Amino acid sequence: MMKLALIGFGNLGRGFSRVLLEKAKFLRNYGLTPRVIAAVDEYGAAIDEDGLDLKKLLKLAEKRGAVTAYPKAKKGKLALDVIEKVNADIVFELTPTNIKTGEPGLTHIKKAMLAGRHVVTSNKGPLVVAFRELDRLARRQGVEFRYSASVGGATPVIGLAKKLLAANEVHAIRGVLNGTTNYILTRMSKEGAPFDVVLREAQELGIAEKDPTLDIEGTDTASKITILANAILGMDAKLKDVKVAGIRRIRPEAIRLAQEAGYTIKLIGVAKRDLLEVGPRLVPLGHPLAVGGTLNAVTFETDLAREVTITGFGAGPRETSSALLGDLIDIHRSLGG
Amino acid sequence: MRARLEMELGDVPGQLVKVLEPISRFGGNIQSVLHQRERKTPLGRIPVTVIFEVDERAKLNRIVATLRKMGIHIIQIGEREGMVKSTILLVGHIIHTDVRDTIDRLNALKGVMVSDLSLAMGAVGEESAARVTIAAADDARAKAALLKLGEIAAKKKLLMIKLLGER
Repeated sequence: MMKLALIGFGNLGRGFSRVLLEKAKFLRNYGLTPRVIAAVDEYGAAIDEDGLDLKKLLKLAEKRGAVTAYPKAKKGKLALDVIEKVNADIVFELTPTNIKTGEPGLTHIKKAMLAGRHVVTSNKGPLVVAFRELDRLARRQGVEFRYSASVGGATPVIGLAKKLLAANEVHAIRGVLNGTTNYILTRMSKEGAPFDVVLREAQELGIAEKDPTLDIEGTDTASKITILANAILGMDAKLKDVKVAGIRRIRPEAIRLAQEAGYTIKLIGVAKRDLLEVGPRLVPLGHPLAVGGTLNAVTFETDLAREVTITGFGAGPRETSSALLGDLIDIHRSLGG
Repeated sequence: MRARLEMELGDVPGQLVKVLEPISRFGGNIQSVLHQRERKTPLGRIPVTVIFEVDERAKLNRIVATLRKMGIHIIQIGEREGMVKSTILLVGHIIHTDVRDTIDRLNALKGVMVSDLSLAMGAVGEESAARVTIAAADDARAKAALLKLGEIAAKKKLLMIKLLGER
């Protein structure tokens, strides 16, 4: 049995819980029976060392908007308490991203590692603020640390590079890493509609957030480039090392001019050992990175395999759960399961 | 790039067709053929110059290798100016920041020429977009032109959108 503590029980925490229920039988094929023994949100914590009733927790949390609706749940800011005292094997850090301080995720992850627990996270904040520190701490503590969900969502970008391309030296990573901006650029190119109109449409569809600044200014892509530079190129990169331009100034006329010459405009993140950069680029129509809609795509330039490109869906709780659950299975295997 | 091959052919029928075939087969787009019968060499051979467009150096190399294997006497291989092309988009107040000056400063570089410019005007007070094609004599000059345009764009607060993979 694998005991899990979920720190953060918003869309992602709930989506992941739903997938755990749906996949319970499937996971037994791996000899894996995960039990969620604690779920924590900003209002309190539901704890049961024998395993929470996930179905019940989901129903109550959805109805009341907090885990405190669960029987005998405790109220208050309890994340650190739970991480330290509740006897979980793996802590899932699923709180919202803060790219400036990395908090509260950063403290959660450090505490979990110091308590000897493995960590899986989707949170970019701690990774852009303190990647090397966390990587070293995990090694020193002898715990597993996985963050596949932080880049590419369902698209296994990090796993592809670290595992399947392990024989290669990666020279450069280029990619479309933000579904929101890719959706906006795709709609602008198809409809010739102005940026503001398409942005509003994306917000109504829930593709763009109410405050879309981090996406359209390129900061979200820059965070992912920072993580890839650290995790795959072995650099010690911080967010501020990335040169960033967003897509706010892209006009439909610009896209039309590009198309006339056989190109489309994409927001591209680049990670090379001597260059970390995010900005709009001309991509030849039909190029593997010229993906439409909310898709993500990443190309690795390597010494042996040459170029390998992977495409898939980024955001969404269900899609991201593919990465979270994959990390859980991967840890289970690493531990000899 | 535009390649220029000077050859000497024997004065027997079918020689010209024979040398043009591999140029076309390996992707060369023939622009002109100069057949100078009146300038016959002392050995009775005829100088022929073929100018063609080819998009990769590898293809040019293959053409030259094939011609040599066929026993064709190649006197000179040249690359003509203006054949590394780069496409760049600019967004900003392109006209108000003196588009003429932008072009002149690029053209002032040696071996560099702005060969095409398409402009899409924004509404009054809004930014415009332009697609610029720069032709340069070789890769080094193309790089220098992009660097220069980058400087100009930064000063004029223009957003410069380069090709994927270009620095």
